[in-house]
Amino acid sequence: MSRTITVEGDINAIDSRVLLTGQGSVTAPSLVVPAGMTKINKIIASGGADGLAAGQVVFFLRLGGSAVLGGEQTIVFGGEGSIAVQAGSDAAPSLGSYFTIDDADIDIRASDSISIAAEMAGVDVGDTTVGITLVYGK
Amino acid sequence: MSKLYRSREGDITAVDTKTQLSTLGSETAPGPLVVPAGMKTLRAVITAFASNFAVAADGTILVRLEGPGLPEGPETIIVGSSGAATATGGHGSFTGNRIELNLPVTATNEILLFAENAGEDLGTVSVGVTLEFSS
Repeated sequence: MSRTITVEGDINAIDSRVLLTGQGSVTAPSLVVPAGMTKINKIIASGGADGLAAGQVVFFLRLGGSAVLGGEQTIVFGGEGSIAVQAGSDAAPSLGSYFTIDDADIDIRASDSISIAAEMAGVDVGDTTVGITLVYGK
Repeated sequence: MSKLYRSREGDITAVDTKTQLSTLGSETAPGPLVVPAGMKTLRAVITAFASNFAVAADGTILVRLEGPGLPEGPETIIVGSSGAATATGGHGSFTGNRIELNLPVTATNEILLFAENAGEDLGTVSVGVTLEFSS
């Protein structure tokens, strides 16, 4: 048996730890690990930027809180780069794919809260949106 | 025991230049990346990078693992490449990669992470590396 939690949020400043606490139309999904779950078995992560600033970043995830038993886990999952266009031209859109870890094997404690945060590091590329799904299991 | 994940990132600003990855976003001085106690294997490395497309050029990105935490010695891994035909208007998204390695490690010893832009100068490249440890 498995359960999932998905959260998303906007990162609008470089080198800033941003807690991901929303889920689209659900503004405050529960971050309490469901009863009986002892592992994060899978992680799915995706990020995209509007490219309105010229720069390049890598995205990474921070998993922490009292539910994560091995201390904070940090995982890079993608990047984005952008340079200014010539006057009168438009930049092509950029499609952000998703990254998965299929056997994450991170110990957690049920009924405690998990903290899911993300950052972009490097040189600011504008506004970014990040989404994370964790798949809990035993 | 479960797996543990530790990361560092940094920016490469010159071609063929070994650049240490020693920061982690909002943590400007996270200190040495030490193999956690009880860990025996570097199961995989997870990498992500992005270039700023500021140069019409093409190049590859290498990651180098070094230090006393690796008893068998240093390792070098190719993690991707990038290119652009013009120095304006580039905009791209890069997905992370997980590369299985299964290298022995020495717990409580440091692993030093470096990245390098080989080939032609890509401009500035941000690189992040996560080490996936297991017991």
